[in-house]
Amino acid sequence: MTPERKVYKRDVIIEVTAKLMSPLILLFGLYVMIGTGGTGGGFQGGTILATGFILYITVFGSEKGREKVPESVNAFFKSFGLFLYNGAGWICILFSLAAAQWLNMPAFWPVTDFVGIAGARSFMVAYMISVGIGLTVMASFVSQYFDLAWKEDDEMEGDEG
Amino acid sequence: MRPRGMKTLTSFSITIAILLTALSIYVVEDLPAFGDENSPVNKHVKLFSVDADGMAESLNAGVLPTEIKSRIEKMGFNKEENYPTLEEGNYKIEYIEKGTWLGGRLYTDSGWDVLIHEGEIFYNEPQQYYFIKEMNGNLTVYRYNWPVRVMERTEEETAIINAVGSGLADYRGYDTMGEETVILTGAIGVILLLRRRGRL
Repeated sequence: MTPERKVYKRDVIIEVTAKLMSPLILLFGLYVMIGTGGTGGGFQGGTILATGFILYITVFGSEKGREKVPESVNAFFKSFGLFLYNGAGWICILFSLAAAQWLNMPAFWPVTDFVGIAGARSFMVAYMISVGIGLTVMASFVSQYFDLAWKEDDEMEGDEG
Repeated sequence: MRPRGMKTLTSFSITIAILLTALSIYVVEDLPAFGDENSPVNKHVKLFSVDADGMAESLNAGVLPTEIKSRIEKMGFNKEENYPTLEEGNYKIEYIEKGTWLGGRLYTDSGWDVLIHEGEIFYNEPQQYYFIKEMNGNLTVYRYNWPVRVMERTEEETAIINAVGSGLADYRGYDTMGEETVILTGAIGVILLLRRRGRL
């Protein structure tokens, strides 16, 4: 859409630091999001994952960041996280024929056979609910950042023209 | 020009949404008024059970038997651990019939409620602390309270080491579902207000 791409002044230190740090930040975000034994949870882990992407976008510009995190991926993850969360509860309610209220029934049969009811609940909370929250938070923050960044570019172009 | 696949996809998703809505209305109709009795918030925490030889009369007279009192204090609910004491005059005993609504809960069994109304540091009103039930010649003592449930039974019931995680996502799952929906709604609002067209 933009005929003239603005030429940014490249800085080696900033680019190398961002390239080194953003995968580590993403890894740490995954650890915070999934590791229910320690501190953290879905909201915090999703925010850390979003900061990893936002660092990359800030350093390399919106257009190059858009190639890494396209809008289709954002839209998918935004709704897929909520779908995971609600699906965990819906599985229990449907398979127990409305006897369960949220997660309190041995409804998830493939998991309960191996780990028991309590283990199945912990599996649901750790790997479906936390991950669902984290994906929604991450995609929402990244998409909001993109929207704000685009608008600033537009206004600067308008000033010049 | 709208793509051809759009219409079938839209009608399919609308059908799924209507089916899920009808199913949820059907499900909600079957739920009891305050949730099901098996959910952890509505259950008591069982402590121990003793022989009921002559203790029922003592409970009816409003006096907690010394055996129950000493066993409760031996389990750690005593003054050194900052729990309210069970001295005479601090508590009140009431007999609750089966099927009574009291304090937002339905009593599925009849028994004695031990209310503590002096020496409690967190609440001003009398709190239901212990529940004693007679069954087959045995007296079974239960405790209840929401913090008690979270603090003492989390690991056994949910197998999560982190009590905050189980409270957030397991016991209070609907609350967190609403929070996540709020975040999604905020993101959609930002998209509608700030996004420029043609710049996806």
